[in-house]
Parts: sequence; structure tokens; C-alpha cells
Amino acid sequence: MQDAVLAMLAKEPSHGYHLHARLRHSLGPLGESMNRGQIYVTLARLERAGLVVCERADGLPERPERKVYALTPAGQERVAAWLAEVGWPKPDLAEFYLKLAAAAAARLADPVELVAAQRRELLRRLREAQQAALAEPAGSGAGLLLEGVALRLQADLRWLEACERAWSKVDDEVEGG
Amino acid sequence: MNVSSAAVRACGLVKTHGQGQSGVRAVDEVDLEVPQGQMLAVMGPSGCGKSTLLHLLGGLERPTGGEVWVAGRRIDTLSERALARLRRRSVGFIFQAFHLVEELSAAENVELPALLAGRSRREARRRASLLLERVGLADRARHLPSQLSGGQRQRVALARALVNDPLVVLADEPTGNLDTAATFDVLRIFEELRSAGQTFVIVTHDERVAATADRLVSMRDGMFVDDTRLAGSHTRGLGGLIGLEG
Amino acid sequence: MGSIVLVVRLVLADVRRHKVQAAMLLLAVTVATATMALGLSLRGVSDALYEQTRAATAGPDVVALSGDTGPAVTSALASLANEPEVIAHHGPYRIVYADLTTRDSTSSPVVVQGFGETPGAVNRPLLTSGQWVRSGGTVLERGFATALGVGVGDRVTIAGRSYPVVGIAVTAATSIYPWAAQIGPGGGPGDYSGLAWMTRSDARALASSQDLPVALALDVKLRDPATAQAFLDAHRVSTLRVNFHTWQFTAEQDMVILRDTQPILVVGSWLLSFLAITGVAALAAGRAVEQTRRAGLLKAVGATPGLIATVLLTEYLALALVGDALGLVIARLTVPAIASPTASRIGDAVGLTGATVAAATVLAVAVAVLSTLRPTLRAMRTATVTALTATAHQPRHRPWLTALSALLPTPLLLGLRLTARRPGRAVLQACSTATTVIAIVALLTLYAQPERGYGLDGSSALPNLRGEHDRRLMLAVTILLISLAVVNTITLTWTTAMEARANTAIARTLGATPGQIAAGLSTAQLLPSLPGAIIGVPLGIGLLSLFAARNATEPPSSWMLGAALATLLATAALTALPARLAARRPVAQTLSAETA
Repeated sequence: MQDAVLAMLAKEPSHGYHLHARLRHSLGPLGESMNRGQIYVTLARLERAGLVVCERADGLPERPERKVYALTPAGQERVAAWLAEVGWPKPDLAEFYLKLAAAAAARLADPVELVAAQRRELLRRLREAQQAALAEPAGSGAGLLLEGVALRLQADLRWLEACERAWSKVDDEVEGG
Repeated sequence: MNVSSAAVRACGLVKTHGQGQSGVRAVDEVDLEVPQGQMLAVMGPSGCGKSTLLHLLGGLERPTGGEVWVAGRRIDTLSERALARLRRRSVGFIFQAFHLVEELSAAENVELPALLAGRSRREARRRASLLLERVGLADRARHLPSQLSGGQRQRVALARALVNDPLVVLADEPTGNLDTAATFDVLRIFEELRSAGQTFVIVTHDERVAATADRLVSMRDGMFVDDTRLAGSHTRGLGGLIGLEG
Repeated sequence: MGSIVLVVRLVLADVRRHKVQAAMLLLAVTVATATMALGLSLRGVSDALYEQTRAATAGPDVVALSGDTGPAVTSALASLANEPEVIAHHGPYRIVYADLTTRDSTSSPVVVQGFGETPGAVNRPLLTSGQWVRSGGTVLERGFATALGVGVGDRVTIAGRSYPVVGIAVTAATSIYPWAAQIGPGGGPGDYSGLAWMTRSDARALASSQDLPVALALDVKLRDPATAQAFLDAHRVSTLRVNFHTWQFTAEQDMVILRDTQPILVVGSWLLSFLAITGVAALAAGRAVEQTRRAGLLKAVGATPGLIATVLLTEYLALALVGDALGLVIARLTVPAIASPTASRIGDAVGLTGATVAAATVLAVAVAVLSTLRPTLRAMRTATVTALTATAHQPRHRPWLTALSALLPTPLLLGLRLTARRPGRAVLQACSTATTVIAIVALLTLYAQPERGYGLDGSSALPNLRGEHDRRLMLAVTILLISLAVVNTITLTWTTAMEARANTAIARTLGATPGQIAAGLSTAQLLPSLPGAIIGVPLGIGLLSLFAARNATEPPSSWMLGAALATLLATAALTALPARLAARRPVAQTLSAETA
């Protein structure tokens, strides 16, 4: 979030409300839940870190809407570093895997049931993402983002399928042995 | 839910391939009710019996046991001829391999069931052009299947399945031969039809197709192991999907 | 060497996999070559039989005959016997024109020859049973006796007198039954007659008792039999009516009975070959995809186009040559019966001539090459990758057809589409039907001919052997043709059904009934049959007019129409079974097979 806001200021100094509008525009329906407060909180953090400066328009009453934010040289460096960065959010699968293992070991719950419940949840999310994606006109940026979401959910669902196979097999062996 | 509102219904459906002890139960005591307007997806690993189930529902195969009802009529006891009539008016099929008639143009393929159902040439043509328009292929009407991409072929097949306003569309792996983009095109049409109240039974192993449905049943070894309602359960805002919240 | 092993292995594997097709090719070629070899062997066999009879009976080189009697004729004939070229003679002897009635009242004209009780140097009839003439007893010519159903010990009535039959014999001095008369009473044209021998005195008594017409004959043997014609030219007596029959003329006369047999067999063999080609081509076309794929596979592993062509052709050639050999053996075994419809000749049929064997072999090779040419060329030309992924060939789009078929009921629509999809196959079906109709028209024409029986005054108590022989052969050829046409029709229907199974399965998922599909498949065969049947009638008449006598009678047109209609109905009935079987195949299974 912080990096995205900084990068948006790289083009030109901007008002907070203007930044909010631009973010919402590029996120489309996904940005609806984002409120303006979040932007100001983020900008305040960036200002404290010395990455942006805030200029008040002269001769006007001190209202947040009148503040114009601009990048400091440090901020510019940070933007450059962000662009060069190739880090990628790590899928957090270990937790769920450990949940299954623990449930099986302590016989707290049936792992196959856990997988099924998780699957239902992911399918509902996929349906939501998909319907939103299908509602977007072809070529929209938000559509592309939603496509990514749907594809990741699909990958997760396939992994759940693999989990289900694996744990069903464990069950079978227990029953068989 | 009363029986008459079910577009498709199956009770204690059994289909055995092979004879006696060595026979394999492809479909094993399945009960199913698909109300009108519902899009049902059936998922499961290959060989779980989902395609056989679809064939049974459309009268392409006869069950070993149990009953199948389509449009309030029991169909597993019908003659081949009566089944054919039923398919004309009430059932539309879509296959993974498209199964278009190769020497007919896209429009002619779509007209085929309409002509079979006894509609006039003019009416068949009108319906075909309307449906091709709807699947976005109005400019491809005169093309032969071999001149179309996979996605376009499946959209022609979809138009063909819809030309007689069937009560239910039965789709067997409709995106199995399609790439991501073509899948997306087909899903968009499915979604439109779903919101328009078309009844569907879709057999698939593509989660994205399944997620378009209102309801999902999972099949293992000829039996249903899970039945999930996907519709009407918005859990959170869309922003939650990309981690913009919290 | 390696490639020969490969070719042989591939050919054997393919024959093993397609036994029915191999059997059909074998059978068709066998039938066609046997018929052709028979047709071409007739003359040779007829000549050989005459030659053997002539050798066994000391046949004369020239027979001089005169319808007049009296001292002038006798002396003229006697003076012939004294010519320097003549090394032996027999006669002059009497020929009495009478009629003969058997105990079961069958009557026939007969010529009675008065012979010595001990045989002379020339024209010594060979007894095949019983004894030679003695006073009061008669010997019958074998062909005549067989037609009458008379044997040694029976009694026959000749010109009102009863005679015991004491022997049965053959002679080369006259033509085969019923052309024993050679000349008629008074030198006029002779009637269909049998031949009987009596002692000279019995013959004289027979003639004088009833005042029957008599002719005189002299058999002579020349120093050089080849000069018979020259002898005849040199001794034509202008003042007396003497007819000379050379041995070559008599041999030629033997062929009269076979005059129509030869075209029936030879043309029949062409038609049979033609049907064999269409049938095998239909089967080969049905396997074209598979063949193309196999060729692609062979190319992929490094086989040259030449090798591929060799494999495909070798298989058909080998089968055709085996069929050829079988056909020749069959021809060799059956030719005596067919080349000698009467019992007037003795001896064994000679082997088939080199020319006959060569012609039959050319026919067999032509059948093999013509029926496989197209698939072979296609398999050779197709690129490897295309061949490996070959399915059915790319269909062409025919908008006019679509427009037309939209107006038709579903089965007709399906049939029309199926026909249009494989125009080559439609032509094969049309040709097959036309050929069948041609054969039936020929058969009907033969049956429509008025003919004179061999009995007294043309009575058919003694049937016309020539007509009967021709009809029997034509019937056999027609049955063979129809059998091949039946196999063709069934093959074509089944091939069409198998190739269209994906589309018909789709049509069924769209709501076409099995009945509609079956009717469509039948229609697909019937549509091309219709022009075939219509064209077959004039073609049959035209073909016959090339061979038939000028005054030949055409059968009534209602017969022709009936034949064409019956052929179409039979086609419809024949296609019904494979079409129904194909239409009843489970849809789901077909569709899954297509996807796999």
C-alpha cells in the first residue's frame, strides 16, 4: 500500500483526495471498500518516515483537503528500489498443512472434512471473483486483476484436491491395516 | 421442493458397465434433483462416473437401475424414438470435443436441431442468427468448423444446444479443450444464461467452470460425496479477495 | 533383402487383420478370371474335342454330298475316289431323311446313313457302347441318343418301323447334334436332325419302302489333310449338285452351338471384373484413412514412398494372383462341360492356352491395380505428419445442397448429405447397380427369344440345346454378378455408416431418431442406385445388340421396368439391415470413441 501510494506521487505532487480517486479508479470494483481515511493514515506514515513532504497551499485555512503531497529524494529512491524489487508474496500454505497434520495426529478433526470445508470456502470466493471478472468489460484493468485472483484460487483449489487425495489415502491405509 | 418444478430428477440411479461380478458401477445409487433455473456443476476425478451420469440424464445411455425424469416425464423407459423427440425439445448437449458436423457451416450446425424439431427454414435461420449473435459469432456464421478456433467452435456448439430453447443444457467438460482466454469467453456466456434462468448440468474438472454454478456436487466412484450451494453466500467484499482490507 | 522381409511381413499382417476384405478380393478375382478363361478357351476346347474324335474315328478330310441320286452322281462321286490326292475313301453311301420316335413318343428328324457291317478305312464311327450295326438293328449317334434319352437295348421307330438300338457311337464326319444332316433333302437346307446308322440293305429298304428322300455321300481321306480346301476348289462339278464339307468346315460348324456362349462368358467376365473393382475399391476407400495413417507411420520410421507403394500393391497383387490361379484351375475343370454341351464328341479338354492364361492374369492384375491405385497414390503423397493425424478427409462445403436439403424430410436430407460427402462412393454404387441391371436385361432378353426345338417340326419335346446352354450360363453369370453387387451394396452401406457414425451420433444427440438415421443411410445408397438402374436398361440393350442376331427380339418393356424396380427394391432391402445395425449403435459410446 505504502509503496503504491509513493509510486503514484512520482508523476506529480497530488492532493490526498486525488490520490484516493486514482487508486479507486485503477482497482475498479475492488477498490470500493477502500476509504479515504486509509490514504491519509498512509500519507501521514510516509511523511513521518521522511519519504514525502506536505505543502500547504498558502493563504487558505488548514484543511486536509488542501494539503499537497510530494516525494522527497529519499522517497524517489524508495520508489526506484520498489520498481527494481522482484519479491513476491509467498503463498501461506504451511499453516493449513500443519492444521491438517495436527488435526490428524491429535484426532481433533477429520482432515478430509477440513479440506472439504476449506474447499467450499475457496469455491465461494472463486465464484465471487469470477462473477466480478465476468461483469467487467473486456480489457479492463480490474478484470485483469480479478483474473489473477481467480487463477490463484484455482491453484489453491487444486492443491486442496491433492491434500484430499493424500489424506483419503492415509484414511484408507488406517482402515485397511 | 415439489417434483414438477424440477427440470431434471434422478432416483436411485445405477449404471453398471460390464456383466455380473466383474461389472463396474459407473453410477452407484445417485439421487439428484435439479430445479429449474439452477446451474449445477458435477466435479470429480476422471472415471468417477460423471460423464456417464450426464449421458443417463440426457437419455444417451439407459440406466441399469433407478429412474430419470426430465421435464416431469420419466425417460428411462421411453423408446429410442421418443427419447429422440425429447432431446429435440428439452435437452441441449455440449461436448468437450464440440462434435460439430464438419461439413456444415456454423450457421447450418446451429440450424440443424431446429430443422430436426420441425421448425421452418426461416424460423431456424432466424434463431440461428440470433444465437450466433448472442455468442459473439455473427460474423463467423458462414465459416466451416475447421476454419474456427476451439473457443469459437464451442460457442457454435453452445448456440446449437440452445436453438430449441431446451429446458436443460447438459455440458460434458465444455472447456476441456479450450485455453484460458477461450474458457473465459464460454464462461461469460454461461454466466449470462445462468442469470437469464437457463437450467444447466455441467460436468467438469475445471474449478472455474464449477465456480460459475449455483451448486456443486462432487463425485467419487459413482457416488456423490459432497453437495455445496455456492450461490447467495457473499462472505465479504471484493476488496477482501486481494487483501485490501484489514 | 531386408525390405522384402518387411514387405512380406506387412502384407501378411494386413491380410490377417482384414480377412473379409482379402477373402472378397480373392473370390471376386477368382470368379472373374474363371469366367474369362472359360470364355476364351471355348474355341480351343471345341477344336481339340473335334480333333480327338476325328483321330479316333478316322474322320474324313472331305465329305462330298449330293442331294441327287442316280448313276451320274454315283459315278461322279466314284471318280473323286480315284483322284491321285485321295489315299482312302468310304462310300458312296446312302443318307435317308426320316423321322424317329422313341417309346415315350418323342419325335425328331433323323438322317440314316447306310454303312457296311465291317468298318471301312475312312469314317469309322467309334462305338461308346453296344455293337456296330447289324441287320435290323440301328446305332444312334451319341449326342442324339443323349438328347433322346435312349440307350442300347431300347427300341426306336424310324419311319414307322421299329428297330432295336444296338449301339451308340460318335463320328467326326458330321457336325455335332443337331447338325448331322449337313444338307437337306434334294440339296436344300437341312433341319435340326439326329444321326443313325443302319446296314446298307436296311437303309435301302427304309428309303424304298416309304419313298423317303435320299442323298449320297462319299468320305475321302487326302494325302495332305491341309489341302482339303484346295481339293474342294479343284473338283467342284458344275453340272452336278455336289456339296463338299471339309473337315475344317465341320469343326467350325461345331462352334455354332457356342456362338453366343463366348460373348456371354467374356462380357460377363468384364462385368464381373468391373464389380470386383468397385467392391474392392469401396473396401479400400473405407480403409483409406487407416492406410494413409499406416503409410505415414512407415514414412516416419524411414520407409521410402516406393516401399509404401510396394506394400500396398503387393498385398492386392498377391491376392489377385492367387485368385487368378484358382480361377484358372476352376476354368480348366469346368471347360469340358461348358465347351461341349452335346455328347457328340469324345476326348479330354486340353490345358488352357498360354494366351488365355495371360489374358486372365492381365485381368487379375488390372483389378488389383485399379482398385488400389487411388489409396496408394494418396498414401504416397500425403505428408507424414498429416498422415499420422489423419482422420476423415476435409469435407467440402456445398451451399446449394444445403439449400436444397433444408426443404426435405430428415431421412432424405441425411441421405443426400451422406451421398454428397462421398461422391466417389455414390458413383461406385451407381455403377454396381447399372451392372446388375445390364446382366438382368441380358438374361431377360435371352429368355424372350423365340426358338425352335430340336424335335419334329420344331417341337420343343427335344429342347433347343444351344438356347438352354446359353440361358443356363447367362443365369450363372447373372447370379455371380448379383452376388457381387449384393456384397458391394452391403459393404458400401456399412462403410458409409461407419464413416458417418460421428455425425449420425451427433444428429441423435440433437434428436434424430434411429429410424431416421437408418432411413438416411439407406437413402444414401438408393439415391445413386436410381440413375444406375435407369441407365442400366439402355446399356444392357445396347451391349446385347453388339452380340445378338439382327432379328433378336427385345423383351417387353414391362419386364425391363420390373427388373429396374426390383433391383432398386432389393437395394433398399439390402441396405436396411446394415443401416439399422449402424443406427442402433449406442450414441454415448461412439462419441467417447471419437473424443479419445
